[in-house]
Amino acid sequence: MTLQVQEADFNVQALYEDLQVKNRTGAVVMFVGLVREFNERAHNDATDADHCFELEHYAGMTEHNLKHIIDEASQRWSLLDVCVVHRYGKLALNDQIVFVGVSSAHRAEAFLACDFIMDYLKSRAAFWKKETTPAGSNWVESKQSDSDSLKRWES
Amino acid sequence: MSQVKIVFFASLKESLGQGEAFIELEGPTSIEEIKQKLNVILDKPDPLFEDGIQCSIDYEFARDSSKVDPSTVKEIAFFPPVTGG
Repeated sequence: MTLQVQEADFNVQALYEDLQVKNRTGAVVMFVGLVREFNERAHNDATDADHCFELEHYAGMTEHNLKHIIDEASQRWSLLDVCVVHRYGKLALNDQIVFVGVSSAHRAEAFLACDFIMDYLKSRAAFWKKETTPAGSNWVESKQSDSDSLKRWES
Repeated sequence: MSQVKIVFFASLKESLGQGEAFIELEGPTSIEEIKQKLNVILDKPDPLFEDGIQCSIDYEFARDSSKVDPSTVKEIAFFPPVTGG
């Protein structure tokens, strides 16, 4: 199991290779979240470089909750390995923010566990996004659809 | 009396104008009671009472009715809904 909360970017190929358990892995499912525009551009002449993001996190709680989410997924499904990497600090449009990778013998468990971990990460991991454009800075608001999505796993 | 550290994050930290506070507790105290204590201590406490503000006790999500035992609890946090991922 790998859990990293870091400022630095990550290499998907390297993380993918780390998830493989020789002779036993039959499936690897990976999710990568990227920085996108949250608000319409206030100025048409604004460039991508005028647009930046800052991810604040609660050091300690972030790791604590992500560990709990990974443990929960590992209890629900038969998994060979799990890797979660989440970045914080300054980010630009199109930058990688989060990686969730799961390996297992069969694809069904890997798909479900990856989906489960991302759902809980969206609602439980202590990160907050702030978007800055030439028009000013705004904290990104949470979406009801993210908390609604958790209901899929309650049973 | 034990001192407990309170930390604030993101938009709440900005609107309160401070990232942390300390309160003295005599015994087990609910989050609701702690918010009332903070209402007196903080310069601009109103944002703490806005809808959606969440709370944790030693990294575990908590409710207004959750009790804080100052002899064991290290840190309480208040923050807006998370937006990671």
